[in-house]
Amino acid sequence: MSEQQNNHKQVFCFSSVVEEFGHIALESLRRGSSPKIYESAAKKLFVPMEMVQHGVEGLVFLLMESSKHMISEVNFLDCVLVLGFSEEVNRFLLKLYQEHQGQIRTIMKQLICSQPTYQNLEWRLDVQLASRLLRQQIVPTVVTRLFLTSGTDSSSRVLQTDPRTLLHIIYTLEAALAAVKTSHTRRILRNIK
Amino acid sequence: MRFRFCGDLDCPDWVLAEISTLAKISSVKMKLLCAQVLKDLLGEGIDYDKVAKLTADAKFESGDIKASVAVLSFILSSAAKHDVDGESLSSELQQLGLPKEHVTGLCKSYEDKHSALQDKLRETSLRLGRLNSVSWRVDYTLSSSDLREVNEPLIQLKLQTQGAEPGSSETTVVSVSADKFRVLLAELKQAQAMMNALQ
Repeated sequence: MSEQQNNHKQVFCFSSVVEEFGHIALESLRRGSSPKIYESAAKKLFVPMEMVQHGVEGLVFLLMESSKHMISEVNFLDCVLVLGFSEEVNRFLLKLYQEHQGQIRTIMKQLICSQPTYQNLEWRLDVQLASRLLRQQIVPTVVTRLFLTSGTDSSSRVLQTDPRTLLHIIYTLEAALAAVKTSHTRRILRNIK
Repeated sequence: MRFRFCGDLDCPDWVLAEISTLAKISSVKMKLLCAQVLKDLLGEGIDYDKVAKLTADAKFESGDIKASVAVLSFILSSAAKHDVDGESLSSELQQLGLPKEHVTGLCKSYEDKHSALQDKLRETSLRLGRLNSVSWRVDYTLSSSDLREVNEPLIQLKLQTQGAEPGSSETTVVSVSADKFRVLLAELKQAQAMMNALQ
């Protein structure tokens, strides 16, 4: 851990306060930090607000890095020992890490929304029978609305196709699915597992 | 195995798994649960407290409650989607392993609400835009800066449409001269005649 983070840890001299900081750190991971919380904590402890903020940020960093690398109990305790806190603080930090590791990993997974992902597809089959210029037609069309979501935003796109193109799309997608079952893919998947 | 209520496809695995969960509650409770799910499908909202009470005897966990609501929702909406009659649904569900009393209760509820369900599904089908209202006004232009005596009628049309995105509405205001309006009216009447011929 860098020097900066070490400096942030100075505020953890008060072991009774660590619990409170743990909660604030978890809340800021879940919902983002708010200066009001830092202010109220700073008033209660009679320390400047920046110290509270640094302390929470340091704790958040510790939790995030540990969860990211999925470090074991022993390694976590080793890391925390370097910081020179009391045994009680170390045990509390370990407990915090173990209890919320799964949650933190889920939150971090949601943060990397890069591309919109498929959510839903609605479709309808229309047949154009006549228009102003030409009567007695039969033109089938498939109109679809594709619902996408990237993180919390959702968008939708309207697409339209004729049956022949739709069959081509289905054929291409089925070929893509079949690629999962080839021996080449299976070999790679076996090695990953 | 192909099932009509799944649209002549195989039954999804999760449906098979959750049918055994459904068999754990009594058939009377299941009929009441069906009624709640039907209310939800028809857009009247579901009362989760009632559902929790119904499943409390069988000691369902929250995952089981959600699963049974989901599987009933799927069976009922899919059967309505593919226009399956009560008897075929009954025999197919029994093939899947749902006990007879449960099936009878479910199919009775389904048949009662069959057409209401289909109407609701028709309403919520994909629509790209809807015309909400039309208002019009006929003006008479007396004169303008270009010509002293114009003396022509002019029609103003205001169309309120619901846009492609759900919840967006647009207003279009058009002014149409008398001749153009006659053409518009004639064409729309032809389209209307064609629509009536289809029905």
